[in-house]
Amino acid sequence: MTALFRYQAALLLRSQRWLPPVVLYAAVLAVGVQGGQPVLDSLGWAAAVLLPVAAWLVRICVSGEPPAARGCVAAARGPARAHLACVLVALAAALVLGAAATVVVTLISAPAASDHTTRVPPLAAGASGLLAVLVCALLGAAVGALTSWPLLRSPGRAVPALLLATLLALVATGSPARAAVSGLVTGSRAGTVPLPLLPLGAAVLIAGAAFAAACRLSSRRSA
Amino acid sequence: MRSELRLDGVGRRYGIRGPWVLRGVDLAVPPGTLVRIEGTNGTGKSTLLRLLAGIDAPTEGRVTGRPRTACVPERFPPALPFTAAAYLTHLGTVHGLSRRAATRAAGQWLERLGAAGYAGTPLARLSKGNGQKVAVAQALLAEPELLVLDEAWTGLDTEAREELDRAVAERTAAGGAVVFVDHDPRRLAAAPDATYAVRDGGLHRRTARVPAPEGPRVVVRAHGPHGGAPPAEALRVTASAEEHRPGHYTLTVPASHSDVLLRTLLTAEPPWHVASVHAQEDLR
Repeated sequence: MTALFRYQAALLLRSQRWLPPVVLYAAVLAVGVQGGQPVLDSLGWAAAVLLPVAAWLVRICVSGEPPAARGCVAAARGPARAHLACVLVALAAALVLGAAATVVVTLISAPAASDHTTRVPPLAAGASGLLAVLVCALLGAAVGALTSWPLLRSPGRAVPALLLATLLALVATGSPARAAVSGLVTGSRAGTVPLPLLPLGAAVLIAGAAFAAACRLSSRRSA
Repeated sequence: MRSELRLDGVGRRYGIRGPWVLRGVDLAVPPGTLVRIEGTNGTGKSTLLRLLAGIDAPTEGRVTGRPRTACVPERFPPALPFTAAAYLTHLGTVHGLSRRAATRAAGQWLERLGAAGYAGTPLARLSKGNGQKVAVAQALLAEPELLVLDEAWTGLDTEAREELDRAVAERTAAGGAVVFVDHDPRRLAAAPDATYAVRDGGLHRRTARVPAPEGPRVVVRAHGPHGGAPPAEALRVTASAEEHRPGHYTLTVPASHSDVLLRTLLTAEPPWHVASVHAQEDLR
């Protein structure tokens, strides 16, 4: 599995297809986050924007490998494991991105609630932001895995499905990502640091189920 | 003890209501055998090979006894952002080699296939033939127990084709199984242990010995311990064995298997003495 992971990671890094989502993430953060704003609000923004980025990264990893090359790897290790490595590399990339954003946002934001007077401890805020990033990355990866090969094969259907699912994951009631992000925003108003453990558990379950479904189908669908 | 790959009542169709491409396929590939699959275009050969390689799961039926597998796909894409050597090293580790062993094997196989000069070339800039050499090297470098070749010879130059023939002979001699499809009926003509034809969505074993068009052969004169018969592994690859004096043999072998025969004779216990090796005179 380590070898598969390294191969997929090298494939992602060297293909340079990670560049557009990373640039998009940086740009949207630059627009939405400014130095001296309340830290929890900014962290909520950083987590929410990571969700589509994670979905996009999964799509890049899954569609980046030509079918014949995927066949060579699938023959060696089994198609399910090959596909899992692919999705996990994208998730890891999203987490690295999200963690870096959380650190930067925590450092440049004001350690205060929305009223600019109540103090919010920056370390606890950063930890809470990391959890929210984890929730959004997991959910984004789940969206990406469910809206690309092997579930949806034609880009004409897959890309709109990805956009719609991303939107739903961010705004639908009951979505762990929405819960985690709104937890940060209401926490900022109240001046308390939330601990989104319940959304995290739900996100882990959803992502696990999505990955399992995609990997299971990877040997049943043709390229 | 290596396991035998078995397909029992295997069927495959694409999509839920798609037509059956293959149905009711029973096939056993014991270790050390060379299996040829025939069939005209579009009959489902590639689908069968994908099932054998484990890339696809059967829609119905069971596949059991999966050994360590490697496959050479029909069309290898150069659209990967690696150099030939870097890609092969990655694939070697994916096949279970250590990084160092993978690097070494990658170099060796590129050299054997005559592509050592392209080790540092990005895959995207390789010619079609050299790309195919990388695809072949990828499958061979970890000495798989099952090798699946989907027209792997297509696009290779003559030397590389012969090298692949010899590599197939080596794999089967080492106890690995090889399943191949190739449109050239002379490909490894004298060697297959079994030939199957894919026809009308089913698999049919070809039992009638069609006089195989003969490829080039090599004649080996060797003698062994007084009155001894050649080792069984040697007889397995020879097309004919003639004893003209007690213990003195003339062995005729497909050119692809001459190295395997010599290795078997020289490493037998006690070793045989090879008196002469020469290409067989023109057969026509």
